Order: sequence, then C-alpha cells, then structure tokens
Amino acid sequence: MACKNEYSILIHKYLDEEMTLLEKKKLENHIIKCKDCEGHMRELRKTVAIVQSASHIEAPINFTESVMNKLPKETNTNRWKTRLRKHPILLTAAVFFLVFVMSISSIWNDSTKEIVVKGDGHFIVDEERRVVIIPEGETISGDIIVRNGNIEIEGEVLGDITIINGEIIKSDISNGENYLASAGHVAGEIHEINQVFDWLWYRVKAFFSDVINFIN
Amino acid sequence: MDAVVKKIIKEVKKGDQQAFSELVELYKDKVYQVAYRMLGNSHEAQDIAQEAFLRAYTNLDSYDVNRKFSTWLFRIATNLAIDRIRKKKPDFHLEDHVAGTEDLNYYSQIATEEELPEEQVVKFEMQEWVQKEIMMLPPKYRSAIILKYMEDLSLKEISEILKLPVATVKTRIHRGREALRKRLRDS
Repeated sequence: MACKNEYSILIHKYLDEEMTLLEKKKLENHIIKCKDCEGHMRELRKTVAIVQSASHIEAPINFTESVMNKLPKETNTNRWKTRLRKHPILLTAAVFFLVFVMSISSIWNDSTKEIVVKGDGHFIVDEERRVVIIPEGETISGDIIVRNGNIEIEGEVLGDITIINGEIIKSDISNGENYLASAGHVAGEIHEINQVFDWLWYRVKAFFSDVINFIN
Repeated sequence: MDAVVKKIIKEVKKGDQQAFSELVELYKDKVYQVAYRMLGNSHEAQDIAQEAFLRAYTNLDSYDVNRKFSTWLFRIATNLAIDRIRKKKPDFHLEDHVAGTEDLNYYSQIATEEELPEEQVVKFEMQEWVQKEIMMLPPKYRSAIILKYMEDLSLKEISEILKLPVATVKTRIHRGREALRKRLRDS
C-alpha cells in the first residue's frame, strides 16, 4: 500500500474532473497493475453514484403560500404604488382623463360670452341678437360651428352644422313647421349642443373621429 | 434564467411583494433539499427553508445583483442549517440517528400498507441509506457533499456559498467521499 497516498490524490482529482491528460495516463497505467487502487477508485465512484442517485426531494405543497404569509405586511400605499407601476396604462388613463376634463370644463366656462363661428364662407354675425346669419344666396362650403349663439340659415350649408349653446332660428316664421323647409338648404347633419354632457359627448366623438382620421 | 431572476428581484425591491412568490417557486425545491439533507427531517427542513426565504426577502437590499442569486440564497440556507445543527448538538449524538429512524418509520409504514414493487423498495432503502450516512458526516463535510452531489454545483460556486477557498472545499469533499466510501464498504 505504499502507492496509496500519491494515487489517492490522483483518484480524487479524477473524481473532481481536474486531471491533466498525463495524470490520467499515469493513473490508468497504475490501476491496471494495482488491485488496491483499482478497488478504491471503484468504491469511490460507486459512492458518488449512489449519493447522486438520491432522488431530488421537493418542497412540501403550500410551501410558497406559507412563506408569503410570513412576509412582513405590505402597506396600502405601497400596494397602490406597485399596482400603478405594474399597470402604467392605469396612470396614463387617469392623467389623461383628468387633463381632458379640465380642458373641457375650462373651454365650457370660458366660452359663455363671445360668439364664435368656425366655417368657410360669408356669414353675418349679429352681435345684438346673438345670431349668425347665413344670407340668401351664400353658400358655406364646409362644416360650420357656432358657439354661444343661434344660427339663421337663408343660404346653403354643404357640411354639418354644430351649434353649441344655441339653436337654429326659423328665419321665416310664416313658412311652416320645419326650419329646413323654411330656411336654406343644409346638406349635412345638424347638432345642437346645450348641455355640458352633450358637449362632452360631442368632444369625445370628435376626438375619436379625429383619431380614426389620423390612423386612416 | 438569470435575466428572469434579475427582473423579479427588481420588482420585489420596488415593493412588489407578490413578485417574491415567483422567486420562492423557482428555488423552493433546491433550498428545501439542502435543508432536508443537512438536517435529516422534514419538519426542521421546512422551518429552515422558510426562514431562508424570509431572510432573503428582508435582506434583499444587501444582495449584490451582479452575483448569482442562487449562490446567495444557498449561503443563507446552509448557514441557517449549520446554526441549527450546532444548537441541537448537546442533546443528541450522531450515533442516535434521530433523523434516520424517523425516516425508517415513515418508509416502513408505507412498505407495510401496500406491496411495493421490488425496485421501489430498493430505491427507498437506498434513499434511506444515503440520508442516514450523510447525517453521519460532520456538518462541514456534509454541506460540501450535499452541494456538490445533490445540488450539482461547481467547486467554485460551493466555495462562494461556504465562503471558503476552493482548495478547502476540495479537501472537504474528498474527506466526505472517503468517509462515505468506508461506510458503504462496511455496510
């Protein structure tokens, strides 16, 4: 057993898979001749194989739950923070909605005084009666928007009419039931918006149709 | 894998406690196995494994993200297990095989209730033998052998977990191997 120590080191090197080729050759040559070392190596390999074969144990069921239950409690604010962090769209939507509501209400509040008209073509603004008049023979080629005033149509409107905080006035009272019949010709749709909610709804619709137009 | 773990850790650090459950899911079996092999019974193993995760959670800020998370976690678990072994040392002797007999009862109960196929009996016996013999090893060899052959870790990782030079880890594994070999031959 004089060989024991030197080759024992080599055998362990072999098991640690840290052998140089030269050492490997040396060990192989020795093992052919030496029964003791051969046996030693065989036993060690068997030991390792048995230990490795010990099947892997799994953690008990509910392990994760019981760990989670033992964690220090999260504070409410923290939970909200994480929720917002996890779903940034929530935050975006909330901010967007806030800005939207603020801008709408400021527009609504601002615009109670002056008559505002948007549209292409000739029209007359009668400040005293707060009426926008489209004279006979005139044509508004696109849409027309009137805010804080009424509209009287004697001419023609090819697009839509939107009246915010106002209404369409029948220009010729004697002429019957319908302003369309009495007034000039309107090719598009007529919207009258007199409530904040109507107004909001109109803005939302306008916003989405803008989005759709943009996408298209 | 590493990228996933890093992402989860980031979320936990930001305060998302639920994300931590994903980490537990990923490593529970490995941590439990180390604890079980070190301590030899399921009750203590569960205790130590859970404690390891709790400590990992509360000390997550001290974890260096550039290092392997599992190494850090194993270090916590092995330290806790070794502490536990040290604490209970006065009231038990290695020769008692406390854990071994517990296992034996458990396995023999299964064996009497239903006829197991030959192969499975052999497997149970082998399992039992391995655990019993590992429990006979001094804790410092035990941890090295468990990490090397049951968790399949490299010498370098084991040296990081145990905070020992690689050469020392090697020596411990060699001695552990020899001790097991002698017992196998004698049994």
